Amino acid sequence: MITKTSPEVGGMGHSIKRKEDSRFIQGKGNYVDDVHLPGMVYGHMVRSPYAHARLKSINIEKAKQLPGVLAIITGEDLAKANLAWMPTLFFDKQMVLATGKVLFQAQEVAFVVAEDQYTAADAAELVEVEYEELPVLVDPHKATDPDAPILREDREEKSNHIFHWEVGDKAATERAFADAPVKASVHAISPRCHPAPLETCGCVADFNKATEKLTIYLTSQAPHAHRTLFSIVGGIPEQNIRVVSPDIGGGFGNKVPIYPGYVCAVVASLTLGVPVKWIETRSENLQSTGFARDYHMTAEIAADQNGKMKALRVKTLADHGAFNAAAQPTKFPAGLFSVCTGSYDFKNSFCEVDGVYTNKAPGGIAYRCSFRITEAAYLIERAIDVLASQLKMDPAEFRRKNFIQPDQFPYKTPLGWTYDSGNYEGAMNKALEMVGYKELRKEQEEKRKKGELMGIGISSFTEAVGAGPAHTFDIAGIKMFDSAEIRVHPTGKAICRMGTKSQGQGHETTYAQIVAQELGIPASDVIIEEGDTDTAPYGLGTYASRSTPTSGAATAIAARKIRDKAKKIAAHLLECSEADLEWETGKFFVKGAPSKSKTIQEIAFAAYTNIPPGLEAGLEAVDYYDPPNLTFPFGTYICVVDIDKGTGEVKVRRFVAVDDCGNVINPMIVQGQIHGGLTEGLAIAFMQLIDYDENGNVQGGTFMDYLIPTAVETPHWETGNTCTPSPHHPFGAKGVGESPNVGSPAAFVNAVVDSLSHLGVKHIDMPITPWKVWNILKEKGVAS
Amino acid sequence: MGLQIEKTFQVKEPIDQVWSVLSDPRKVAACVPGAQITEQVDEKTYKGTISVKVGPSVTDYKGEVQIIRLDPQNHEIEILGKGHDVRGRGSASMKMTGKLRTLDGGGTEVTSISELNVVGILAQMGSRVITEVSNIMFGEFVKNFQARLSQPADAPESAAAAAKPISGASIAWQAAKGVFRRDS
Repeated sequence: MITKTSPEVGGMGHSIKRKEDSRFIQGKGNYVDDVHLPGMVYGHMVRSPYAHARLKSINIEKAKQLPGVLAIITGEDLAKANLAWMPTLFFDKQMVLATGKVLFQAQEVAFVVAEDQYTAADAAELVEVEYEELPVLVDPHKATDPDAPILREDREEKSNHIFHWEVGDKAATERAFADAPVKASVHAISPRCHPAPLETCGCVADFNKATEKLTIYLTSQAPHAHRTLFSIVGGIPEQNIRVVSPDIGGGFGNKVPIYPGYVCAVVASLTLGVPVKWIETRSENLQSTGFARDYHMTAEIAADQNGKMKALRVKTLADHGAFNAAAQPTKFPAGLFSVCTGSYDFKNSFCEVDGVYTNKAPGGIAYRCSFRITEAAYLIERAIDVLASQLKMDPAEFRRKNFIQPDQFPYKTPLGWTYDSGNYEGAMNKALEMVGYKELRKEQEEKRKKGELMGIGISSFTEAVGAGPAHTFDIAGIKMFDSAEIRVHPTGKAICRMGTKSQGQGHETTYAQIVAQELGIPASDVIIEEGDTDTAPYGLGTYASRSTPTSGAATAIAARKIRDKAKKIAAHLLECSEADLEWETGKFFVKGAPSKSKTIQEIAFAAYTNIPPGLEAGLEAVDYYDPPNLTFPFGTYICVVDIDKGTGEVKVRRFVAVDDCGNVINPMIVQGQIHGGLTEGLAIAFMQLIDYDENGNVQGGTFMDYLIPTAVETPHWETGNTCTPSPHHPFGAKGVGESPNVGSPAAFVNAVVDSLSHLGVKHIDMPITPWKVWNILKEKGVAS
Repeated sequence: MGLQIEKTFQVKEPIDQVWSVLSDPRKVAACVPGAQITEQVDEKTYKGTISVKVGPSVTDYKGEVQIIRLDPQNHEIEILGKGHDVRGRGSASMKMTGKLRTLDGGGTEVTSISELNVVGILAQMGSRVITEVSNIMFGEFVKNFQARLSQPADAPESAAAAAKPISGASIAWQAAKGVFRRDS
């Protein structure tokens, strides 16, 4: 149990208002595009119109002559500095600027630098590029066909196949399937979508020729890791690079990779000796930066006649685009996809994934998702419904029968994970009760008699977040610990710096609440700073719901180190032994004499003014936290939909989300995270697709085609929670940012399929557009 | 992006007069908004340009037009056009089959079936916009074609009316109206 502090202290569990919002709502945020430096010039990218073409020539003469143009960089120029290619985060390399050929539409071909951004854009139009079109590979299922064009001529292996990865006991799983009386399968696509953060990617690269210091203002979710990569790839001594991530307008995994534009801006600044700004347009962001998903999955379940599941078999084809730029821990080519056994007690499982290249933008990033968890949760929750429907069992009862039980934790899954804690039935029961499940089923039965279409969809997901333990997790070799440094000032106020980087998560508030909880210093007296690699301790950044499980834990541990030192100072001030002291939020007092006490503020002052003999001055601590395990948040979401038989429109009538993320730091921020993630999940389920035509033309490259939900489309979200603390996290928290995006797509799709299941519909792929539904209604003869 | 567009329109002129225009790529090109024949390579092959503006996006295709089938008896012509944008914004190809049929009143019905394939920036606009742009361009073409028919057969190409690209803003606006009209 967490002792609740007073509202004035504002420790854990208090819904204090977000400290960062006062500047955001006043328009005083400071984003990369707000950075203006003296003498700054601007870059603009020339991009390929073709998905696959030989680069025959680039003529920059006309562009060079435009007044105001300072430099034009091509792939050939970069090749001279050995920078035409750069490593991706996953054992592949990608072109910075194209040499030889282009491999996807909107690929970077040349970088124009000019005195202002309009001249740069105009000059980019004047760059003449001659291409010779090549056969295009769009369908990942055709990537390994004998007649498929080989996309990556740079690789020794002349194949479009990138990797095969498998986990689990194949033989035991086969046996379980051979013996099982009941089998069900579903082929489900987790389609290509894009995080589409409000702020696109960009940077200002500022190389100072006098000091030889390179400062990069960068839209980065992982500034420290990016500094190291810039140093290794660019050959610049790491102490001479400073990466600053100012305010970030949403990341969602899109700002984890390093993009060609960043490298070009750095090269341009090194060459010209002036600051170079490069900011993507919206279409450039959608068409060229890290997409998410594009997993083509098949799940098969073996069960007995009573509906008890025995084994799960999963086969997946992953479309990675032109380069494998997945941002994933190096031991996991398919991320944490093997969490696909979900909340259920399978005795056997086998999972295999094959990755392929196609002529599409590179990526495979974790969009509000702890590395392929969204795909896994969607697949298992969809497959469960298919099997329950086949057995004519209620999907809630079916889940209840197969859940891992609370007394089974820590639970080892057949695919190798150890779940820390859970009470899946508890969360489901609460959601069923909140939504009024029994009444809804009755209503559905009556509506069906009248020919009306209504569906109820359940998703009881389990996530694996907080990567991660150093023995298993690293990104490009760097272990996935994270850090916190706390300094308490003489007047008892504090500054705390972290290795993570908020992109809207509210870190400036929640980390301060952890300090408040642990030290009793009011959250309002604690400043949180992140994103400046010259000042913050090293860390791997914010994605995969890892900030609370890693840096949050580090904050608590660092605070406890400070408390240990504070105790020594208090004993000195109170002229007693440390053993005689007890801690109560914000002060040490002498056991049995509560009036004899020293507050943390008095102790802080003494740390600088009245230092005990033999003790160092000051009151500060650093902690680099290596989590012993991941944390496993979970929940049950229930969606109720009505379908308009005239238009095929799906109306989300109700959506109940019960989340269990362990102990909560700030309930209001958690609720905000859940609202945001559910809204993104709604968009993925119903509205969004980065589609390509047969020639590799992007069909979702603008907000005209790639739809962002507004208040009009977004239903009212009903949230609830249960609390099953993580047993290994210092204050029992698990992380929550991604749960709603991970758990909700299955709830939406299950609800739509449920509304049509009596007509024989078993599965519909996302996005479930009105057009798709209307065609099904027409085919089934029920469209009106 | 592949699209098939079929269009039919009727003119009052007799079939032979219509055929004399339709069977000559130079005369047809003069009726296409923004198109120009720049050079005749051989009897069946011509070089030319066409400029298409959609909103802020201008695409100047430069390429070849080839007659792949000419059937004066049945009044049918098949033309293949291929071009690349001069600034590397993409490419387009179109195979068009034109057919004539005599109407009861002595006029002629013109049918064209076009298979259009667009790659690049323009193709990102999506098939709905491209179809609407084609509709607008075809409407202009019909107007110009009819005007050409009323000219003497040997009139110089420049006499054909309005064979210049239509304004970008207007084409984008009309295309947008077309898209929304169909949906509402």
